[in-house]
Amino acid sequence: MENDNIKVILERYNNGRATKADIVAIEQLIELGTIDLEELLDLKQMDNELHRIGSPEPSFQLDDRFYAFLAKEKKKQQAFTFMEWFAFSWPAPKMAFGVLTFLLGLALGYFLLPKNESEKTELTALNEEVTSLKEMMMLALLEKESATDRLKAVSLTHEFDDASEAVTRALLKTLNKDSNVNVRLAALDALRPYIENDTVRAELIKSIGKQDSPLVQIALAELMAAVQEKSSVKEFEKLLKNEKTPEEIKKRIREKIEVII
Amino acid sequence: MKKSKVLLPENQMPALEKLHDNALMEKVKNGDLDKLGLLFERYKKPLFGFFYGINKDSELSEDLVQNVFVRILKYRTLYRGEGEFRSWMFHIARNVSHDHYRRKKIKANDTIDAWQDKLGSDENRMTTFQQEENLELLSLALDRLPEEKREILLLSKYQEKKYKEIGEQLGFTEGAVKVKVFRAMQDLKALFRDLEAKR
Repeated sequence: MENDNIKVILERYNNGRATKADIVAIEQLIELGTIDLEELLDLKQMDNELHRIGSPEPSFQLDDRFYAFLAKEKKKQQAFTFMEWFAFSWPAPKMAFGVLTFLLGLALGYFLLPKNESEKTELTALNEEVTSLKEMMMLALLEKESATDRLKAVSLTHEFDDASEAVTRALLKTLNKDSNVNVRLAALDALRPYIENDTVRAELIKSIGKQDSPLVQIALAELMAAVQEKSSVKEFEKLLKNEKTPEEIKKRIREKIEVII
Repeated sequence: MKKSKVLLPENQMPALEKLHDNALMEKVKNGDLDKLGLLFERYKKPLFGFFYGINKDSELSEDLVQNVFVRILKYRTLYRGEGEFRSWMFHIARNVSHDHYRRKKIKANDTIDAWQDKLGSDENRMTTFQQEENLELLSLALDRLPEEKREILLLSKYQEKKYKEIGEQLGFTEGAVKVKVFRAMQDLKALFRDLEAKR
């Protein structure tokens, strides 16, 4: 339908003179996305009024009931089952866990013996082996199809005192490329302790332009505001200029970069 | 690579988490049940408003809100984190509402007389809840809409007109949802005018 015809139909509708054929046409145009509901002025007004209709507030009894239910569920959950440790669905982590246990057993043996310099060196080497094994597990889990496995992988990094370059590289790749927004958020969370590292910081700034999820965009804005990273402002300004960025997100990003500038 | 000791202030962590419903629900799914409390605080009022808009019964609405969170916890392992948490929650809310009415074999689109009977039990609350006259008429007109049309307008209200989300819950395209909203609003307009004329 031509634009002029559409304008005529809309004008008739907004002046209360729409025919039945006009209504049918308007429905088709709405379904196609050619016109927006906001262009139908009386409905827009009615919609605003609808949003003003309030309702009574729920009572405090609702809160009492919910929190009593939650407390009960938390108690049930506290029963620890060893089976949870072996809940992996594929063999490699089980094998890795077995090797870890063996190595930790060796480590325990070393603790029981009197130490000398060479033994201390061997202990350090053992600790490095254990860390290396954990890193291998983490990197393997990051490649899994299940988002839950990838989240487990990211959460493993919190156990490292210091992560290797391979781990931070993997976390950055996850932040930029993982299909699941929660995994990307978890990866950003895991990278925060390393923000003082120049490479990590630079990559996080580059990541701003690669994100299309508003949640991750806001999380990055919060992080950059917290560390006062002025060189991130340019990337955020690009987001603000992008028409696809929702207004609410633009508002939040502006609030954050005002703190930086 | 060394972890920095000078990191974000402690209060940044809760602020960050608070933003992300999906992240909170993932934590619940992974066993951190306390995070469900945060989601409850955020959504108890919109859910209550949604149910109240359908049934006009405060006690029942509270029961249904509780049921939604019971189901969220029960089915937390099924949460996939795709799309918005709010959309998944309102999908559950709709099911809770429909299941209630199926069990009770009560039609949700009661006559206006039956609705006025229920008003008695809420009268004390409603007297403290002041509305302009037109809003009252609009509210009455909304109550007279068939359940399906009332529901779509309530979903539009409480899900901030995220028609794509609503479409995913109902199994329609975004365009089809907008047409349903249009038709519901047209009917609402007609009912409102009827009530205005009788005033």
